[in-house]
Amino acid sequence: MPLDTSAYSLALLRVDGRRWNELRRIHAQIRTQAAADGSSYFEMGHTKVMCVVNGPSEPGPRRGGTAAAAPGGGQSKDAEVAVSIVVAGFSSVDRKRVGRGDKRILELQSTISSALTASLHTHLYPHSTINISLHVLSQDGSLLAALINAATLACVDAGIPMTDYVAACTAGSTSTYAANDESADPLLDLNHQEEQELPGLTVATLGDSDRVAVLVCESRVQVGRLEGMLAVGVDGCKQVREILDRVVREKGRRMLQEGTVEKGVGLDEMDMD
Amino acid sequence: MPREAEPSLNEKQFILQALQENLRLDGRQLDQYRPLELTFGDEYGVAQVSLGKTKVFAKASAEVTVPYTDRPLDGVFTIMTELSPMASPAFEVNRPNETEVLLSRLLEKTVRRSGALDTESLCLVAGQKCWSVRVDVHVLSHDGNVIDASCLAVVAALRHFRKSDTSMEGGVLTVYTPAEREPVPLGWLHSPFCVTWSFFGDEGETAVLDATRAEEQIRVGSCTISLNRHGEICQIAKLGGTPVEAVALLQCTSLALTKVKEFSTVLDRKLAEDSKRRDKSGRAAELTAENDR
Repeated sequence: MPLDTSAYSLALLRVDGRRWNELRRIHAQIRTQAAADGSSYFEMGHTKVMCVVNGPSEPGPRRGGTAAAAPGGGQSKDAEVAVSIVVAGFSSVDRKRVGRGDKRILELQSTISSALTASLHTHLYPHSTINISLHVLSQDGSLLAALINAATLACVDAGIPMTDYVAACTAGSTSTYAANDESADPLLDLNHQEEQELPGLTVATLGDSDRVAVLVCESRVQVGRLEGMLAVGVDGCKQVREILDRVVREKGRRMLQEGTVEKGVGLDEMDMD
Repeated sequence: MPREAEPSLNEKQFILQALQENLRLDGRQLDQYRPLELTFGDEYGVAQVSLGKTKVFAKASAEVTVPYTDRPLDGVFTIMTELSPMASPAFEVNRPNETEVLLSRLLEKTVRRSGALDTESLCLVAGQKCWSVRVDVHVLSHDGNVIDASCLAVVAALRHFRKSDTSMEGGVLTVYTPAEREPVPLGWLHSPFCVTWSFFGDEGETAVLDATRAEEQIRVGSCTISLNRHGEICQIAKLGGTPVEAVALLQCTSLALTKVKEFSTVLDRKLAEDSKRRDKSGRAAELTAENDR
């Protein structure tokens, strides 16, 4: 289905009515699963993912495949971050069976694992594993970004020390690669339709900085457009980080009010601004 | 599962200290590749690339098959990668590890998804017959930077490859042997090449090209950028690792473009040399079924 990009140049509105620099509605929750050490639910428009974190714990018996992703594991002096992604059959329009050995999924798993390993203080948990399991409930573009954000929130909930949030979002560019169009606008946060039609990239940054942890571009695009897309993406990540931070703080405040956190334990030191 | 021996603490520190002083163990500049060798086999579609001690062998082949039902007008194009224990004890046969998965995904994105090969030209009879082009990549020796070497080998093999000429007459497809008609090259649209940067230091401030295996084992992150010489990015993959300044990544991309242009020139020159070598009688121009469009 070709995207009607002619409308964009007329009204500067995208297919879903957003401007170039607008994120879709982001809704996030943490501590959604009582049984898990950490859990989260993250929506970015119609992309919906859930994340459950277990650990750091003693590594269980090897199941092969993904668990072997990070080197070391049980013997290593750093904790291993094992990520598994389950894509629900009903998550996209056409019901496609995704096999276990699907390389795209394996690549996503290793990306998330490696991005979080750089932010988590894994050296504090030698000989152990942090199991992150992600469930994709609905897909509408920016899947990798949503997965990274959900995993970050769940790790915060699990109380694993980390340097900062790893926040991710996507950026694209209007008009396809073929048109060497200098006036092409960068776009923030692509949905599925835009992702199919336009060049785009996924960026994840560490906290408030401009440091890029993940940069994935899978479409053909002129080199000159990279700078604009990257700038918009990094800026979007900062917005996402604010949202994630707000969710965590709000949940913390609520837990204090409801008395879920033991009273008097380090309350004075807690800075709940 | 056998694992690769990690470099010792002393080795690690030595390499890192040297890199801080802009020195590398083999005396190269930080953005310098090892000597690149590209050789073609006697058969069409066989290419071997070596970067220092890293050796990659690629072989392209084609056969006539039935196209996929959802893509009746497209041919089939697959890239198979194999990392055997020959390259490193950490690789096992039939058990893809992370390196292999990432390598095959990168090649897939760089060469296949960027549309380097015109798959529509592989169609013979819509929905019934098409060419299936397959490239097998074998890593013969692994001394770091397998990705760049493999990508170069795949592109070289495909551009060197000639498939049998065919004709359709009255609904009958004839595939001619090389003796009957000179084989024809594939419909090739652009040549993408991978350039892999490795990052070192606490904030990934030192960026290094063409890392050896020892360097790869201690790097804190990497970023593979695929470009063609027209300055089109085909793919960027910085899959996690230590965060790197966005500006540094942009610089890496523009430097990668100059490297890609060098690769492109080398490949063009080697292909020209090879075709001259094959064309001893000087009659290739007469024999070929190709014509300028």
